Amino acid sequence: MPSRPASSEAPSSSFLTDVSRFLGAFRWAFMPLGLLALVAVGVHAAADTLDDRLLTAVDRLDSAFDGFVGQYPATASLVDWVSLETRTRLARALTLAWELAADLLLALPALGYREVAAPAPTEAWRAVTALSSEPSAPSSWKALLQRCLRRPTPMRWVRPLATAGVVLAGACTVARLVQGTVYLSWRPLFGDTVADLSARGLAVAALCGVSVSLGWRAVLRNLQHADAACAAVGPRRAWTRGLLGCVLVAPLGLAAVWDAAPVLSFLR
Amino acid sequence: MFARRARGLLDFTFALLCVWCAYHHTPAGALVRRTGAWAFHTRTTARPLLAYYDGVSGTAMPTPNALPASMLTRVPTSVEALAWGTHSALKGLDPKAREPALALAREVGIAPETLLDAGRGPAATRRLLDALAADFPSEEARVTAVFAGRVPARFALERVGAEGGGLTLERLARQLPPGFEGSSVGAAQALALSTALMLGWPVAESAPVTSPFGYRTHPTLRTRRMHTGVDLSVRTGTQVSAVAAGVVRRASEDSVNGRVLVLDHGRGVTTAYCHNSELLVKAGTRVEKGQAIALSGSTGRSTGPHLHYQLELAARPVDPFGFRTALRVADGATEL
Repeated sequence: MPSRPASSEAPSSSFLTDVSRFLGAFRWAFMPLGLLALVAVGVHAAADTLDDRLLTAVDRLDSAFDGFVGQYPATASLVDWVSLETRTRLARALTLAWELAADLLLALPALGYREVAAPAPTEAWRAVTALSSEPSAPSSWKALLQRCLRRPTPMRWVRPLATAGVVLAGACTVARLVQGTVYLSWRPLFGDTVADLSARGLAVAALCGVSVSLGWRAVLRNLQHADAACAAVGPRRAWTRGLLGCVLVAPLGLAAVWDAAPVLSFLR
Repeated sequence: MFARRARGLLDFTFALLCVWCAYHHTPAGALVRRTGAWAFHTRTTARPLLAYYDGVSGTAMPTPNALPASMLTRVPTSVEALAWGTHSALKGLDPKAREPALALAREVGIAPETLLDAGRGPAATRRLLDALAADFPSEEARVTAVFAGRVPARFALERVGAEGGGLTLERLARQLPPGFEGSSVGAAQALALSTALMLGWPVAESAPVTSPFGYRTHPTLRTRRMHTGVDLSVRTGTQVSAVAAGVVRRASEDSVNGRVLVLDHGRGVTTAYCHNSELLVKAGTRVEKGQAIALSGSTGRSTGPHLHYQLELAARPVDPFGFRTALRVADGATEL
């Protein structure tokens, strides 16, 4: 039976294809870096919406702490430990620490991103037998999702979902910056109407392109990482594996979706 | 797992966009920039790390040396306060960050150098702000226009409108691409200074000051330390009023500050009232200017009945007397 040739083996037809193929040789370098950057941008967008809530929480905690230590003469001096003016800076510093910790948890797995060549095309009957002898590839979407459903753990669910939230927020931030940069730099050259339309079009293209090109890969990579981490320990320990990290990233994932992902604003 | 495709160019472009965005708009990127600047002995435009959250944390807030004579005789209007705050913030910026404001001044027929002049500056800045009032009705957008330019401010305003929700300086600044960091800081400082200038006074203006702002020998600890507010001598039970509208960020009691209230007035301005005998509002409550919020007393580490009044701009304590413009009480009425 004739087999379909691999697209990477097709003869070059244009300069663009050649450039694309040349850059494709460096995917091992720029793809992990791009995933890492996208997650970092999304995490910051989410953290930026939570900073004032964290300030309120720090205020409440500090007033409770001051009330407690102030009861005893020996500990009363600790009331001055967090003075009125340092509280805001402390809350901002906590937000920064939270963001960097979430970066470590969600963005660092992206550095383990690897691509493999597509399997060589085979005759139809070989594919059927291959499937029957090997139920599924160990880390395909399907296999990973099946394991999430059959052996659910906080890490298997929370990390990829939080990543999905932050990459959406990250894609929106990238699109916003593209729109601003294109509009403000093209306006003196092409006039207001052309610059505005171009900026809007490119922002939508950036939003879709980043989500399609990098977004789903970041989610899948986190799913792979969470699955591998849970599979490495027993079923019981898998429940507590990465639990603290999940508690850390879950609010950021929610904030990213609710407050930091104005997807529809690019269409208005 | 991931099929290799001949989409290198597109993927490379999107990855590059994300790296550019992270490099310029995240604290992690700022850390990389600072490390690079340190390693190669170059200057960096990265903001202080904490300024990536509210725009002004960690930045130096220009504090005024003296208020104009006109403001010492009467309460300034909000337009005057905004002009004075903008003028003060402009003076504190580096020459490159001032460029949009100077270009805008030329555009509306104001000599740019007068914006920075100590005597004529506030009036010139007011004329500049007046010229922008029709296009930018809100103070946030108007100040953004001064510091970033008319076109970027209009773009940011339209983007915030498209996103929906309230108009804040932070949201406007978020819409601007790299290169406008200095403008955002300047605009935040201008609003903070003008808001501080509009503050009332928590008790009667005639209340004597028993301990001013600055370094002093602590009356009970006998050590030299910074006094971060002013102590106003008032009898126990004297009504303490909110100096401006805001939200109660803290209403608590401890052995040092006694019964303490902290009000957040927005735009980076916070006030604190310590040693009260009774608190009349709870945390989270919204208060209006002049509203009774507490009764003064001598609770906590105190040697006698007084009110410790503290003003913070961008989380840094400043002397409240630097912003006391005229004889008045908290409700804004002039006391002559």
